[in-house]
Amino acid sequence: MNCYSEQSCAVFADGEMAAAEARRLQEHLEGCAHCRELVERLRVENSMLAESLHEMAEAPAVAPAFSGLRSSWRSRGAWLQVIGVTAVLALSAMVYTGLEGLGAPAALDWLNPLSLGGRVNLVFSLCAYLSGYFTQGGTAMLSNYAALVCWISLLLLLLGSSALLRGRRWRLPHPGLRLIVILLTLSLPGFALERRNGGLVAVGVNETVDDTLLATGDTVRVDGVVNGDVLAFGRAVEVSGTVKGDLLSWAQRVTVTGTVEGRIYSFAQTFDLTGQVDHSLYGAAQTLELDSRGRVGEGILAAASDASIDGRVQRGVWLGAGGAEVSGDIGRELAVAGGTLTLASTARVGGDLWARVRQLKDVHIAEGATIAGKRDIQQTAELTVRQSRYRSFGFYLWQALWVAAAMLVGWLALALFPGFVRGSTQAVASGWRSLGLGLGVLAGVPLAILVIAITVVGIPISLIGLAVYLVALYLAKIWVAAFLGRLILKPAEPGNRDWLLGLLLGLLILTAGGFIPFLGGLVRFVVLCLGLGAFAWQVYRTIKQPAVA
Amino acid sequence: MEGQELETLIERARGRDAEALGEIYRRYVRRVFGLCRHLLGSWESAEDATSEVFLKLQRSLGTYDGSTPFPAWLLRVAGNHCIDMLRRRQRGRQVMVEDRDGTAAAAAPSSEPSPLGAVLSSEARARVREAIARLPENYRVPLVLRYYSELSYDEIAQQLGVESGHVGALIFRAKQELRRKLRNVQS
Repeated sequence: MNCYSEQSCAVFADGEMAAAEARRLQEHLEGCAHCRELVERLRVENSMLAESLHEMAEAPAVAPAFSGLRSSWRSRGAWLQVIGVTAVLALSAMVYTGLEGLGAPAALDWLNPLSLGGRVNLVFSLCAYLSGYFTQGGTAMLSNYAALVCWISLLLLLLGSSALLRGRRWRLPHPGLRLIVILLTLSLPGFALERRNGGLVAVGVNETVDDTLLATGDTVRVDGVVNGDVLAFGRAVEVSGTVKGDLLSWAQRVTVTGTVEGRIYSFAQTFDLTGQVDHSLYGAAQTLELDSRGRVGEGILAAASDASIDGRVQRGVWLGAGGAEVSGDIGRELAVAGGTLTLASTARVGGDLWARVRQLKDVHIAEGATIAGKRDIQQTAELTVRQSRYRSFGFYLWQALWVAAAMLVGWLALALFPGFVRGSTQAVASGWRSLGLGLGVLAGVPLAILVIAITVVGIPISLIGLAVYLVALYLAKIWVAAFLGRLILKPAEPGNRDWLLGLLLGLLILTAGGFIPFLGGLVRFVVLCLGLGAFAWQVYRTIKQPAVA
Repeated sequence: MEGQELETLIERARGRDAEALGEIYRRYVRRVFGLCRHLLGSWESAEDATSEVFLKLQRSLGTYDGSTPFPAWLLRVAGNHCIDMLRRRQRGRQVMVEDRDGTAAAAAPSSEPSPLGAVLSSEARARVREAIARLPENYRVPLVLRYYSELSYDEIAQQLGVESGHVGALIFRAKQELRRKLRNVQS
């Protein structure tokens, strides 16, 4: 019997043989087991091939054409969005100019593209800042920009959360538009906000501010009454009047001799409280002092290199401190983790005393000091310093906080720019390219920022560049972690939940990996470069994308 | 019902309705991306190609006459786009058409590897995909068009600009090469 070639059988199995020929082959198959088996196996192979090829049901990670469609600018939706956004911005700008005239802080105004005055202001304020920089050590300028950066982060967080709360339907689908809206919203003023800026920002003794006050200046003084919150950024922040809301301050020196009816959040080199805060005090400072006249209505949670509690705290005090001195009255527990702890004879602790110190002899409790609850004082440094950090609770707490913060940032980023985030995650896969690019960016960008800054006029650009660079440095581990997580979990359908789960897993692994003796540093460095490179590549691709349309 | 819906969707998309285009994108992006990925090999170029296919869709929808099912038509458009990309990559060289030893469809020597059996595990399927990705372009493209896009020999011939009779030979050789690669991996 004359058998058919395998190729003929393959064409037949594909159903592509001419009808007459196919009939003949079919007849042959009835009498030939060998060919019948061959055709059968070819069919199985075909369906296996189809199955294997179809199985990969992944969606493109990057710039979904959905956004691409809109970036073609032809679709009505995009136009409506642009018109809507422009209208809102124009209206806001009009209201803004009408309400505030020229009183806008230059530090924020220069971002406003709709304000010509902003740009003119910018030049003048830059000159002023620069002269200030050389005559006063630059603190005014730095604090202004620190304020700006804080403000931007705060608003970004607010905006991101509200976008999430409002749900998918309300989000602008085009990532570029979203970015523009965010940037422009940041450049516009908040309406329920009174802003003051200058060398000395003062709320006079007889003055009352009804809104939240945002003050940036060399010295910020509140002698009168502020009915809202106070956000103060400067070299020195002094509150001798009354703040009905919270006080959030970032300054070299923060002094509160008056009353804060809300909470105090303070980052300062020196923090002094001789006045009263009705709720809690949260702070990080080099020196933190609660004067004997000072009163805290709730508790204190603070990190300080030197902390001294002379006044009265109604509830507990939790300190991470190099040295802590307590001579005042604490209503509930006192918890201290750090170097030394001294309780003077006048000290009174209403609850337990919990202390973790390097050496037990660094804890001094004077005769007259009263501790109502139990004493739990232990030393943390039985082992060498290197090992001891793995034994302290604080270490794990910080790592957990670190991971939680990264998760939050990742979640926000994914919700706002899903295409970009997935693209960056994917870009890590290119390995050497990301690594090389990351190394280049890591070294090159600071250089470029410096060169641009030297031109003086380029300072705003260099500052934006610096901010983006710092953000990119932070985000680096997120891309790498998410990629690592995906590599391990191998989700069949890469959804948001899987991405976040992958991120969590990756972060945990990277965090652990970063503490491997000797190799840890290298791990961190490689992660940084990889992530930075992936980010840079994705930025490049995103910019390149519309050119395709 | 589904078909009716699709028709109105296409009609709306023709009228530059962004929402309708978005819906079409959502429905078919995975399939199109899969094809681009198989044909082009790299993830990045597949992403680019997918974006471009959907960007051009507004214009190309005008040529869709409804004679073939929409998904098949869309995959053909995407396939054409990828093949164009591959050609550009090869700087005009018609690689897809080239076949080293002409069109001779000699009977397979008995030493040729026999057809692969059914592959059940997902890992094994991933290995098959990897092997397909490593096939030379002139074999990979017709194989993917046949078993992913489910095009007929004639349609593949049209897309590649080769004779229809040649397609069978190309696919046959592609499979033999694939079997060889997979057997090598196993051994």
